[in-house]
Amino acid sequence: MFYKVLSGIKVIEFGNLISAPFCAKILADLGAEVVKIEKPHCGDDSRRQEPFLNNIPGLDRSGLFQYLNMNKLGITLNPETATGKKIFTDLLKNADIFVENNSLKKMKELELTYRYVKTINHNIIMTSITPFGQTGPYKDYRGGELVITNMGGEGYVSTREGDISKAPLKHPAHLFSFQAGLSAAAATLGALHHKNLTDSGTHLDVSEQESVIQNLNAAIPRYSYANQIVSRTDAASHAPAHILPCKDGYIYNAFSQEHQWRRFVEVMGHPDWADNELFKNAQTRAKYWDALRPLLLEWTMEHTVEEIYRRGQEGGAPVGAVRTADQVLADKQMAARGFFVDIEQKEIGKLKYPGVPYRFSEIQKKTPMAAPLLGQHNEEIYCNRLGYTKQDLNKLNEAGIT
Amino acid sequence: MGASFLKGIRVIALTWVWAGPWMGGILADMGAEVIKIETEERVDSQRIVKLGKTRWKEEDQGVNRSQFNVTNRGVKSCTLNLKQPKGVEIFKELVKISDIVITNFAPRVMPGWGLDYSTLKNVKADIIFVSLPGFGSTGPDKDYVSYASTIEAAGGLSASFGYPGEEPAVSGTYPGDPIGSMHGVVGILAALNYRDKTGKGQHVDVAQSEGVTTLIPEVIMEYVMNGGLRPRMGNRDDIMAPHGCYPCRGKDQWVAIAIGTDSEWKALCHIMGDPDWSRNPAFSDQYTRWQNQDELNKLIGGWTKDFTHYEVMHKLQNVGIAAGASLNIEELINDPHCKARGIFIEQDHPEAGKTVVYRSPWRSALTATEAPAPCLGEHNDYVFKQLLKMSDDDVARLVAEKIIY
Repeated sequence: MFYKVLSGIKVIEFGNLISAPFCAKILADLGAEVVKIEKPHCGDDSRRQEPFLNNIPGLDRSGLFQYLNMNKLGITLNPETATGKKIFTDLLKNADIFVENNSLKKMKELELTYRYVKTINHNIIMTSITPFGQTGPYKDYRGGELVITNMGGEGYVSTREGDISKAPLKHPAHLFSFQAGLSAAAATLGALHHKNLTDSGTHLDVSEQESVIQNLNAAIPRYSYANQIVSRTDAASHAPAHILPCKDGYIYNAFSQEHQWRRFVEVMGHPDWADNELFKNAQTRAKYWDALRPLLLEWTMEHTVEEIYRRGQEGGAPVGAVRTADQVLADKQMAARGFFVDIEQKEIGKLKYPGVPYRFSEIQKKTPMAAPLLGQHNEEIYCNRLGYTKQDLNKLNEAGIT
Repeated sequence: MGASFLKGIRVIALTWVWAGPWMGGILADMGAEVIKIETEERVDSQRIVKLGKTRWKEEDQGVNRSQFNVTNRGVKSCTLNLKQPKGVEIFKELVKISDIVITNFAPRVMPGWGLDYSTLKNVKADIIFVSLPGFGSTGPDKDYVSYASTIEAAGGLSASFGYPGEEPAVSGTYPGDPIGSMHGVVGILAALNYRDKTGKGQHVDVAQSEGVTTLIPEVIMEYVMNGGLRPRMGNRDDIMAPHGCYPCRGKDQWVAIAIGTDSEWKALCHIMGDPDWSRNPAFSDQYTRWQNQDELNKLIGGWTKDFTHYEVMHKLQNVGIAAGASLNIEELINDPHCKARGIFIEQDHPEAGKTVVYRSPWRSALTATEAPAPCLGEHNDYVFKQLLKMSDDDVARLVAEKIIY
């Protein structure tokens, strides 16, 4: 764990890939005990996703899996068998929280929807994450990052400097699937507080599409008040924002206030063109961007990202430095906050991982634990807690139950 | 009001623009009472209409038709001038009767008003104070100014975002802000749970830039594990193909399709009428389809262009293929699924009139119904007279002295 905030809280995670595992990771990072249930023999599909250490695949070599599943106990279990289902039920009986991202269809087949789970454990908090939620005409539709990006309205408006002959653009990796897991974790923590006070659980029906829709804050009033439909060709917010190439990379300028633009002009040494009527305010600068951009590049291409970033920020212009992974890892600000952490894992050794973005003033930071090997905690859970013998465990394994 | 996640919890919000105030919006949706401290000295810039047109103070006096009404639905507003010592005293009185104080102001601002965590703790021992600065409240860059753009850039998101072979792209919506808000809410509710068990409060500091990085570990781990920089991949996936957005019949109309297995591929070919080109060995399995995806995408686009995005989506989803129309805001608000889910709600705002807002992304019996966003200082009477029990004369005097301002 990172911080012992949720002492004594027990979570069962039954999911795959990103959203449920990330939701459960957040709880594990905060000190809850999370038991991750994986398919026997093959485990979570993220074990088979890049990047792999030294580009050599392996069940315990995926950086994505290692990050998503740190701080958790891992067992293998097949709840589609009668014995497996019985074990699953026993595990749920003692849990405070149940996190899952299976299709509604699968949960119905397994008899593990909230209706059933509530009869096993009357005050459990059950967090279900699906692409479109568990109600509505699309409730059985398949999702995935690209689909939820577009069904959530992000695709249509990305990238803002795009032209509509180019396809809507997806964000990197699995950004919005992670955001859905993050949203689910917030709701779960709210439900846990409610349970602390009332001893009642609840069902949380989290929709990945709706999690993406959260990001459309600016598009909604423009439509509802002014009948404007934001698209890839117009500014979704008040400030022209642009990424500009520099000598060794890119900067990202989004000056929302006039005085910030003025400061940037000073940082550039107040070139003559800056006093041109065409560039007098944000609206005109947006209108005449095609004229302005090459003028800005004359200066930015002569200076490094770091130089423009520091001189800009020190000078009152909130320049952004477009950082690549190596630069993020080397960032002194993140280092000062101890953001990246070293975690040792049996198969792949000690590697650096992103940590958590919060610091708690009254709680000591702990050392995080590596993600489990496949079935690593079978003995702990089945034998030490559920009372099976090692012989039983062998048979369960051979029978494909675990 | 019936049961809700955060019934009985009072939050004082010193927040600005989007990431901070949206924390308040999420907490309000969860049933907390959120009181936003505003001031006429420096009005939240989201209140200022910037639909490329007017500023409300100049042209539409009294009409507040802006983004503020979406972000701050469910939140209350009082005006209080914290530059005045008397204003700070009144703020402390509010802290005494509250559970949580949240802020996304720059780290020097609250200490500048004499309101750092140790002071707040002296006022109320178990207060939970959550700050959401761009880069953190400590560290060499803590005073750097950030917007969603700067934190996305700092967090490593922008560098990997773009069409293949092109420059880093500018986000359409600045997701860095709502991502920061949700991390902030996790911090707030973690501390609340801790207080439930221990009776102790604390300061939780949530760095927005770190929050972005935690959502793109693939970018970081590619470098850690292989010394590589994850390239800008457009709509490509690491292995799925076809995987992209395809042009449809309408203007600027696209549909996303993601095929992950041979059986999904066969189902797609069948829907397309088993065209000859689909039997090309170049598309025979996931590996070859990935290698030849540019050619493949052109051919699929040749089929999708005769249908609307919704038509393609429904056809493909009906046979178990992941497909999604690329919806604009008008389509989303009118979409039958979104309507069934109740994600968008129409409110009647006292100044702005009909206003569409949205709920948090979960359905639960514990979600509260919320009021429209507040007008500036709309709840002054409630806060100062009802909660703080000031007399009419006290309040009138404070208004005259520009403390309640």
